[in-house]
Amino acid sequence: MPVRPVLRLPEPVLKEPAAPVERVDESARQLAADLVDTMRASPACVGLAAPQIGVSRRAFVVDVTGHRRADSCHGTFVLFNPELLLAHGPVAAREGCMSVPDLTGDVRRATRVVVRGLTPEGEDRVLQVDAFEARAVLHELDHLDGVLFLDRVDSAASLFPRRVYR
Amino acid sequence: MPHYAVTAIGADRPGIVAAVTGVLMEQGCNLEDTSMTILRGHFAMMLVVAGPSGSGPAGFEEALAGVASDFDLVVAVRAIDDDVPLSPEGEAWTVSVYGADRPGIVHRVTSVLAAEGANVVELTTRVIGSEDRPVYAMVLGVTLPPGTDGAVVSRDLEELARELGVECSMHPSEADIL
Repeated sequence: MPVRPVLRLPEPVLKEPAAPVERVDESARQLAADLVDTMRASPACVGLAAPQIGVSRRAFVVDVTGHRRADSCHGTFVLFNPELLLAHGPVAAREGCMSVPDLTGDVRRATRVVVRGLTPEGEDRVLQVDAFEARAVLHELDHLDGVLFLDRVDSAASLFPRRVYR
Repeated sequence: MPHYAVTAIGADRPGIVAAVTGVLMEQGCNLEDTSMTILRGHFAMMLVVAGPSGSGPAGFEEALAGVASDFDLVVAVRAIDDDVPLSPEGEAWTVSVYGADRPGIVHRVTSVLAAEGANVVELTTRVIGSEDRPVYAMVLGVTLPPGTDGAVVSRDLEELARELGVECSMHPSEADIL
């Protein structure tokens, strides 16, 4: 299936907690494929959560391959019903979001993270991620709870106009 | 809708923002981009607002006169051009400069940047430390035009920093879009 439009603020679905994926069936796999296709359609995009394409389900895709700040890299992976098992070592860095155009912000996030979820094949997967991959996972996890980076900026002085839109 | 730049500054105390924006709201203005901060105990507001068609800066200044007097604020309203580009294109970098306070740091640093075609998009300076040993700290957000080598600008700034006897560093601050 196709690339889907990425929703932007003030779309209400972006602020809603997403519901669990009940069964890893054909429609869940379709959602996974749409997330991957839509992420790949934007060259700078390293992750996407289901609410961003209008599906209020707990699913995201991440791929930090080739990113200059990445250390761990698990390639492209989709997780359903992901759970955060461990997070430590917070570091502030500037991030933006496909769903929040024109702004970026300094956000403190853990740099070592363990996350667990179901793959599109229905298998339980535990991933240990760090550095930029950890930031991407935490950013996408937030989307599943209706939390945007705007909710986490360090201070009023940590919000910036996005200078380059690619 | 015509746009206006509204500036107000006065000794800080609670209620300034609420009072100023209350008047602007009554006047039918919509706040757009704003920046407000405390500078040496004074609250400084810079606001770009959209006003109703047919409005003018003099009317807003008059409407704000009461609040200006209540809070002892210096207030100015000017019409601004709607057709300027919103932000310059290029690569985002952050420059930090700090050291013993001396005249001309801002001017010298920004002159080097201007010579490279770099655009200063944000700048904060603070005087910190004790009165007998003041330290000047400055952080600049800079946009380098496409094709400019950040390493070259960084080297030029380091050279200047040595001459001025201050510390200077520069790093890319491109945000990661997730």
